[in-house]
Amino acid sequence: MSDIGKVRLRVPSTIKAGDVVQVRALVIHPMERIERDTQGKIIQKNYNYINKVIATYLGKTVATFETTQSVAENPFFTFTFKATDPGQLKVQFLDTTGGRYEGTADIKFS
Amino acid sequence: MTGQRRVSRRTALKTLSALGVAAVGGVIPMPPSANAQALGQNESVEEALKRLFGGKPMKDGAASIKLDVPLIAENGAVVPISVSVESPMTPTNYVKHIYVVADKNRIPVVTRVTLAPEAGRAFMGANIRLGESGDVRAIVEQSDGSLLVVKREVKVTVGGCGG
Repeated sequence: MSDIGKVRLRVPSTIKAGDVVQVRALVIHPMERIERDTQGKIIQKNYNYINKVIATYLGKTVATFETTQSVAENPFFTFTFKATDPGQLKVQFLDTTGGRYEGTADIKFS
Repeated sequence: MTGQRRVSRRTALKTLSALGVAAVGGVIPMPPSANAQALGQNESVEEALKRLFGGKPMKDGAASIKLDVPLIAENGAVVPISVSVESPMTPTNYVKHIYVVADKNRIPVVTRVTLAPEAGRAFMGANIRLGESGDVRAIVEQSDGSLLVVKREVKVTVGGCGG
């Protein structure tokens, strides 16, 4: 449980300027699913799951994922961006309890 | 007599204030995430599609959308899915949103991806949950507002949504 919020970003090792780069972002998170009582009624509570993932590159938002509980535990998301300049890629994960987890990767050209 | 009365009044006030604090304290740790939960609601697919798109016509997008999802998902708790759309991704013509909808899930809307032209390619991938066998749809909203849809049936051996 203590691993909640660990973010891993996977970026290709060699990137050339102008490439469209595919990134995999993974976060350790339980993504609580809906619980029901014995009558099959949904228990109303604030379920803890990630509802927003924001990927920014050079300060610009490239992709935003709005997610629901139908996304798997320890979710990973794949997206692309066009590498125009060296800089920072940042992925933020927000969950319903106000948790904010982020991972960054430096984009360098080789 | 008066002293006793004073004490009782003080204790009364104390309990009152304590109650007040408790009431305030009870309100603060419950942020109503109505906004956050609006996207994923417990509803049928028809309702979800109506709510999101308001009955706008959808064209078949089989020519331009590639929906990659296994035909048979042994474990419904983790199903890899990816959607790739052919699009020039220029500021005037790009893919604005990609929706993933799982028909048989209790919460059919899985994710809504908002893309910017800077993404370079209209692509998304994620691990989703599938409750039971059924169609999985990818709905693409382009910058001009037109909608394209593709769907594919996925057989699920062990459901992953629980509940």
